[in-house]
Amino acid sequence: MNPRASAVEMKNIVKIYPDGTIALRGVNFNVMKGEIHGLLGENGAGKTTLMRILYGEIKPTRGEVRVFGKKVSFRGPWDAIRHGIGMVYQHFTLIPAFTVLENLYLSLSAIEKVSLSDVEERVKNLMEKTGLKVPLDAVIEDLPVGLQQRTEILKALLRNAKILILDEPTSVLTPIEVKELFNILRKLKDMGITIIFITHKLKEVKEITDRITVLRKGKVVETVNTHEVTEVDLAKMMVGREVFLKIEKSPPKIGKKVLVIEDLWVKDDRGLDAVKGISLELHEGEILGIAGVQGNGQKELAEALAGIRPIIKGRVLVYGKDITHLSTAERYRLGLAYVPDSRTIGLIYDMTVTENSVLTNLSTVLSKLMRILWDRARSVASKIVNEFSVIIPSYDSPVRYLSGGNQQKLMVGREIIREPKIFIISEPTHGLDVNATEFIRKLLIKLRDRGKAILLISTDLDEILQLSDRIAVIYEGKIMAVGRPEEFTLERLGLLMGGVRA
Amino acid sequence: MLKAIRDRIRAKFEDYTTTTIEIVASATIGLIVGAIILYMFGYDVIRCYSIVFTKGVRDINYLLTKASPIMMTGLAFTIPMIAGVFNIGGEGQLYVGALTSILVAYYTHNILLAATTGALAGAGIGALIALLKVYRGVNEVITAIMLNWTLYYIVLYLITNIYYDPTIPHQSIPVPEDARIGYIASPWGSIRATFFIGVVLALIAYYVLYYTKLGYLLRVSGLSPRSAKYAGFDPNKAIIYSMILGGAFAGIGGALLTLGYVPYIDTTMSIVFGQGFTGIGVALLGRNNPIGIIFSSIFFSVLIIGGQMMELLTGAPPELADVLTGVIVISLALPYAYRMMISYVRTRRMIQ
Repeated sequence: MNPRASAVEMKNIVKIYPDGTIALRGVNFNVMKGEIHGLLGENGAGKTTLMRILYGEIKPTRGEVRVFGKKVSFRGPWDAIRHGIGMVYQHFTLIPAFTVLENLYLSLSAIEKVSLSDVEERVKNLMEKTGLKVPLDAVIEDLPVGLQQRTEILKALLRNAKILILDEPTSVLTPIEVKELFNILRKLKDMGITIIFITHKLKEVKEITDRITVLRKGKVVETVNTHEVTEVDLAKMMVGREVFLKIEKSPPKIGKKVLVIEDLWVKDDRGLDAVKGISLELHEGEILGIAGVQGNGQKELAEALAGIRPIIKGRVLVYGKDITHLSTAERYRLGLAYVPDSRTIGLIYDMTVTENSVLTNLSTVLSKLMRILWDRARSVASKIVNEFSVIIPSYDSPVRYLSGGNQQKLMVGREIIREPKIFIISEPTHGLDVNATEFIRKLLIKLRDRGKAILLISTDLDEILQLSDRIAVIYEGKIMAVGRPEEFTLERLGLLMGGVRA
Repeated sequence: MLKAIRDRIRAKFEDYTTTTIEIVASATIGLIVGAIILYMFGYDVIRCYSIVFTKGVRDINYLLTKASPIMMTGLAFTIPMIAGVFNIGGEGQLYVGALTSILVAYYTHNILLAATTGALAGAGIGALIALLKVYRGVNEVITAIMLNWTLYYIVLYLITNIYYDPTIPHQSIPVPEDARIGYIASPWGSIRATFFIGVVLALIAYYVLYYTKLGYLLRVSGLSPRSAKYAGFDPNKAIIYSMILGGAFAGIGGALLTLGYVPYIDTTMSIVFGQGFTGIGVALLGRNNPIGIIFSSIFFSVLIIGGQMMELLTGAPPELADVLTGVIVISLALPYAYRMMISYVRTRRMIQ
């Protein structure tokens, strides 16, 4: 195989969505045969859109796609699969109640006539060759995420994928699983498979790829050879300016004990224990960061504290008052505020800016007769908009027309102007650009300095390390360790998040 | 407050304009399709339409009186819809409201009491559907469909076996003369007050939905139950409240029908039958907006009366009038396709 030949050529790709959003503005993207090519960019840079075009899921508005030198125009993913392209999504497309083998059989039988025993034999051969070991008879939902991902990769390979697209493959993995994944990818590369690795994590892209294409705001910044650049170079390309990862903060002035969580047990939507006996304390003027990989009970913990999810066992005290059995509204009145990890929960997209501004503090704009004083609501809205520089088309525009960053500012701002004493905030900067991220992080520090107690739940380690005065690591619904940031090295955090006591 | 309304209209001017254009366009398309059908059946299209739209609006009193009950059943559909519940039980809620107000009026001669109890009876049925949904997880559509027929036969049983008029046995006992809704003088002749009561109630519904805590709760829960929970509201309460309100409006629809139009129910049930279902069309054409419903109920009333006249004068089957309304309701789905086309064109233009 000629290593210089190109596997994928995308020329001048433009993608404009029907709602007028321009996702790609003339992207040129080339991948050589047999290389691991990183596609780097912030959230919203257009990485996923570009790959969905390559996979035939969406059509480019303009531009040309060539696969192995041949011009193609895919009508759907099935076309792309026939041309040897495989995709592994961030969210897996496996049937949870089926076994691994059944899932593989299902996907293969969609494109050719095979029997279950045929598939089994082929999978076993493939596993032998690649070292991708998965127990074939295990039911998918019982498997850890890492193995589910392997099943997805096997699925693509079984369909003879020569080009493998991985969309943020490490976001759901523990550090140890990431290492294993990388070993597999190297092996696949040795077998001549071309890999496109979508990510926004600098360290990983530096570690695993041969070349990197950096996307920013729908355009290619540059395609570089990995060994010729540093992480700092990449960061600069990605965000367009030097990233100031350090945020100035003074030592915390710890005050009274505000929130006490005692042996808290909470179930998830499926009825399984998600929080298993967590005990924590939170003081005035401190940020307690909860670090952990997504889906380890963080959401359930936050919702239980806010009163949205029932507490099975344990107690929650605010200033010594037991709030375990209080409703959400009563907890908010006691000075608790909660910012959920998803804007689709914290905001109602079809309601106006003004209407959204009073979602959690409606009682402040009611007359005695339960009439909403819209003038007063409007002034609440304008207070949020001015104080947190939210950019809006008008107060009567639906929130759906605001950008993600402005939606986030509105949602966080709404809780802040209520002057709560305790702040439970989940993923405050998820999906935001650098400017908005910095804005929100500085805001949290400011709140802390004003004596508020903040429980910061985040899967972004940088965020946790930057902001927290104390860190608690959560893993499978249990707290692995609590301590000051200095007590944790990145390695130790990684191990704890992966469930290894260190 | 006037200023606030003016600002709101200004901010949403574009929305309002497109909505108006969409509604006019879908009505036009409905009429064109109706014309094609009339033509295929060999009727004179122009004559039929001129009958519908001249005879339909000739008697303003009749037009508005006919519009009132479907305005109410329109609201009975809209209010739960806004809270995310699909109330197709307006039909049964109206039957119960109609019979209850006849009985109360017959025995007490008190209009207000009769109308109120009619509303309460409808609200009770609405609450039953909501409670079954919230506490037993029964789909509201299934409950409502079954209840519609159950109530149909219960009412029929009651008017044929217990509350029949001894002098005219195929009718229920009548609403006494002194308990009927009177007329109001207007430039277009005297008009029965039912319509004005309806309009006031629709305005109240609008006020409740957009200016009170209850309305906010209903709207938030309808748009996003998870956000409602997050905000400390109980989306289940929204389901119950909205169905109580919706049922009450359907019940009042029944009261307006019997207290203000035909003072009895005969054993064909033709006076009450279909009013609830027509309300769904009225609500959709009115874009689930109480004020829009005032106008769409009048428009439906024109079609109903005009359709009857068309049948009478040209011999066209009555189903044709139903087809016409049906086509209009379906063509309401077209604006969505239209919007897609617009954005497609816009996209193309941006590339060049």
